[in-house]
Amino acid sequence: MVDSLTLTKKFQKEMNAGIASLVLLSVLAKSKKPMYGYQIAKLLEEYSGDATTFMKQGALYPVLHSLENSGLLESSVEPSVSGPPRRYYEITAEGKETLVIWQGVWKQMKLFVDKAIKGA
Amino acid sequence: MIKSIEEYLELLKTELQDSDAATAQDALSDAEEHLRAALANLREKQPELSEEAALNSVIEQYGSPAETASAYAEVERRTTPQLARENVKNESAVARFFGVYTDARAWGSLLYMLIAFVTGVFYFSWAVTGLVTSISFALFIFGLPFALLFFLSVRGLALLEGRLVEGLLGVRMPRRPLFTQQNLKWIDRLKELALDRHTWFSILYMFIQFVLGTIYFVMFTTILSLSLSLIAIPILQEFLGQGFVTNNDLRYYFPTWSYPLLVLGGVMVWTIFMNLARGIGQLHGRMAKSMLVTD
Repeated sequence: MVDSLTLTKKFQKEMNAGIASLVLLSVLAKSKKPMYGYQIAKLLEEYSGDATTFMKQGALYPVLHSLENSGLLESSVEPSVSGPPRRYYEITAEGKETLVIWQGVWKQMKLFVDKAIKGA
Repeated sequence: MIKSIEEYLELLKTELQDSDAATAQDALSDAEEHLRAALANLREKQPELSEEAALNSVIEQYGSPAETASAYAEVERRTTPQLARENVKNESAVARFFGVYTDARAWGSLLYMLIAFVTGVFYFSWAVTGLVTSISFALFIFGLPFALLFFLSVRGLALLEGRLVEGLLGVRMPRRPLFTQQNLKWIDRLKELALDRHTWFSILYMFIQFVLGTIYFVMFTTILSLSLSLIAIPILQEFLGQGFVTNNDLRYYFPTWSYPLLVLGGVMVWTIFMNLARGIGQLHGRMAKSMLVTD
């Protein structure tokens, strides 16, 4: 028998896989300026209140890469005053279009899941 | 307990040893960028925390090396470079042979072979100028800073070449620069770069690219003109009244029955070359990966 903590973690991970892309796109669409990884992580921490409930910050970066790879985000490296240069991410026009569709999908999904949980 | 960012990166590297070298390089530079920024931020807010306690609280949020490595592996599994899409299997040999015309990788390789001529000449001149001036300036006080600049430029060019290789040849290459340790004195930075195998392999690559670029270019132009001239012979003889060889007043003609064979031959030569180019592109990509990416 697998303990419930492991199961919960696995469930969380599977759910995060899709949601992370939606969340990152939304954050970058709202932002007026390009943001770097740590900035995004900080902002998400504020939203969630407790960072560990969403996902580990380290897991955000590969999602950023894959969004960039699909052309939904763009990035550029700029030197920083302290420490290594930073990669700034910005949403593309294609990313904005995709986000609108994804938000629609999310709304339907949310309604459906809520209904299933309530059983009404 | 992890004591330093370097130690974290070492552990992450070990965790990532089974994944793609380029993914590993990306993961390491992401982690370094994030951990340094987060650590600096936390130390500013809570100066009473010890360096180690601060680092561990930062890592707690970022994820352990094992967690981070699995996140990259997971996403990498779902995304492959754009040109590396799987070919349709179960095709006959003939279909595969002519299918090369619809294969983006073959066209990418052809384009790369042309570009390699230009980049090869540039890399070669850059490497020779950089090396020779660094050595001769070593007599003067500014010789060493100059060498540092040269080594840094080599790193930059290696990354740029990697983007070109991934874009055109479809071989996964690093997407961001490899971070070296920060807050080093420039002289230590120079020592680190000079002792790094990666720097010298990149310079060697710049020389090799010159030779290969020239060979690719010659192959490309020779075979293109050969196949085009074979295809053009019927037009030349029938419509323009020219012989395929004109020597003073002597004109040599191919007989009419051989026209279809000549055209077919021209098409075949080019198709064979397209298949060859795709293979060369893959080999070149593999070479670039082994020389330009640190493992």
